[in-house]
Formats: sequence, structure tokens, C-alpha cells
Amino acid sequence: MTTWRRSLLTASRLLLGGVFLYAGAIKAANVTAFAGQVANYQILPYAFNYLAAALLPYVEILCGVLLVIHWRMRPALLVLGGLNLVFMAALTSAMLRGLEIDCGCFDPSGTTGTSAGAALLRDLGLMVLIVMIWVLEEAGTRRRSGGARTV
Amino acid sequence: MPNLPTLLKEATALVVAGCLLGLVINHRLVWDAFSGRLDAAAAGADSVADLTVFPAPVLLDELQTLMAEEAVVVVDARPAELYARGHIPGAHSLPLLNPEEALATFRHTVPVDRSVVTYCSGYGCQDSFDLAMRLILAGYQDVRIYEGGLPEWQAAKLPVEGNEP
Repeated sequence: MTTWRRSLLTASRLLLGGVFLYAGAIKAANVTAFAGQVANYQILPYAFNYLAAALLPYVEILCGVLLVIHWRMRPALLVLGGLNLVFMAALTSAMLRGLEIDCGCFDPSGTTGTSAGAALLRDLGLMVLIVMIWVLEEAGTRRRSGGARTV
Repeated sequence: MPNLPTLLKEATALVVAGCLLGLVINHRLVWDAFSGRLDAAAAGADSVADLTVFPAPVLLDELQTLMAEEAVVVVDARPAELYARGHIPGAHSLPLLNPEEALATFRHTVPVDRSVVTYCSGYGCQDSFDLAMRLILAGYQDVRIYEGGLPEWQAAKLPVEGNEP
């Protein structure tokens, strides 16, 4: 892999890892407020909002850490990609139902106020980043080990 | 292309690990949520972030019954101008934007053991929820949210008080 591609990969995975580490940490710090945000989407039954709020941040944190330390990147990217799709589906559903919700993604106390549309665009950007990192990682490892790869 | 089964296995392991971590750290909250114990009033909470109880929603018919029995105090969370234009009959105005002063007056007139129902502009509006949390924080033990708000009330052709009913 060329030096600039390597730099791009490093910068991207640190950025993405950092984003999810931050998002996960800020939600983990305030689970009940985040549960309230999840409840606003009116998708899950009552207690499951709390369950989602309790579990999701730690999955994000774990994936963020893996990206930052550059270990088991592909599973982490897959999980983050999947999570992102779920978020985008939830946001789209909220928009279609005309729910005016504060995303709750990066600030569970809801003071920053991101509209569903803006959050959707942001998640799209993250998706692009995820795909790009995957492609770069693929290209890099193929060149390193001549094709045979586990993960 | 990487080994797909291994990839999926590791991705699953990752999700499971994260979930277990979250479950262990938040086990009490999750248990309380599923055992219905989150209906207890929040005594001694310092901020909205500390509250572990969420106000329950109330449906239109139930609200009408409660109002007929004078069992609840209804509170409008919308700005004062909207309240003046039209509100649910008998509702107090507690605009979320300037809660402190109005809240102090409200607390003088309405004892904390009264049941309160908040509402605003309907299902998309979060203000009724936020106001309900503030009321719980202020010590009101039984706060509920009429999520349908004024739009549903008006759609049901119910009377509205105000300048432009």
C-alpha cells in the first residue's frame, strides 16, 4: 500500500473509531436520558427502550476501540455498518411518521438538537467512511499476504 | 475477500461481548425497567439526568374521565402566545421555554400530591415530555403526558378555551 493510502487508512479508522468511542461513551454516561431518546422514536416497547439504551453504547465503544487499536477491524466495521443501517432505518421511520425528534445520537440530554434529516445525512457520511476503510484495509492486506486472509 | 463465516462469527462475538458488558454495568436499571419498578417517584434526584422514572402516557378518553372527576391538573407546555390562542379548558400555562418562574407560581397553587397531565402540540412534540420531567424533578409524584396534545383534542371536536377557539 502506498504511503498516502496508508495514511488515509490510519486517519479514517482513527476518525471513525473516535466518533463511535465518543458517541458510545456519552450515551453510556447517561443511560436513562438515552432511554428517553430511544423511547421518542416510538419503535420499541417500554422496557426495551431501556435495554437498547443499556447495551448499544457498549457495542459502539467496543467497536471504536478495535478500530483505534487496529485489531479485528473487519468484524468491527461490519458491526458498525449494521448499527448504522439500523439507525438510518429508525431515523427514516421517524421522518416518515412526522415525529419531530432530537436524534439523541451524540447528546442524550437533547440540548444540541439535531434534526432527523441532518442525522440521516451524517450517518450516510459515516457509512461512506466505513466502506472506504474496508476497501483500504482489503487492498492493504491483500498486498501484504498475497491473497490468503482470515480476518 | 475474507473468510465470511469467520467474519460473521467474530462480528457476532463482538456484539455479544458489548451487550454483556452493557448488561452487567446496567443490570439494575434493566431489571427495574422489566419488572415495572420504574413507576416509583424520583425522590432526591439532582437533575433530569438522574431520574430513573418516565411519565406514562394518557389517552384522550382517560384524560376526559380524569378531567370530569377533577382528578388531574392539566398543564400546557407550549409558548404563552399559543396558549392564549387556544388551550384545553382549565389547563394551566407552563411554557417549557421559561419554566422557573411559572413553575414557582405553579407550585404555590398546586400541591405536589395532585396528579398532573402535560400536553403540547401532539405526538411529534417533545415539550410535554420535557416539562413532565421537570415537574417530577420539582416533586410532583404523579405526572403523565397527554401525547395527542391540542391537535388530537381539536380533532375530536372538543371545546377549546382561548382567543381564537
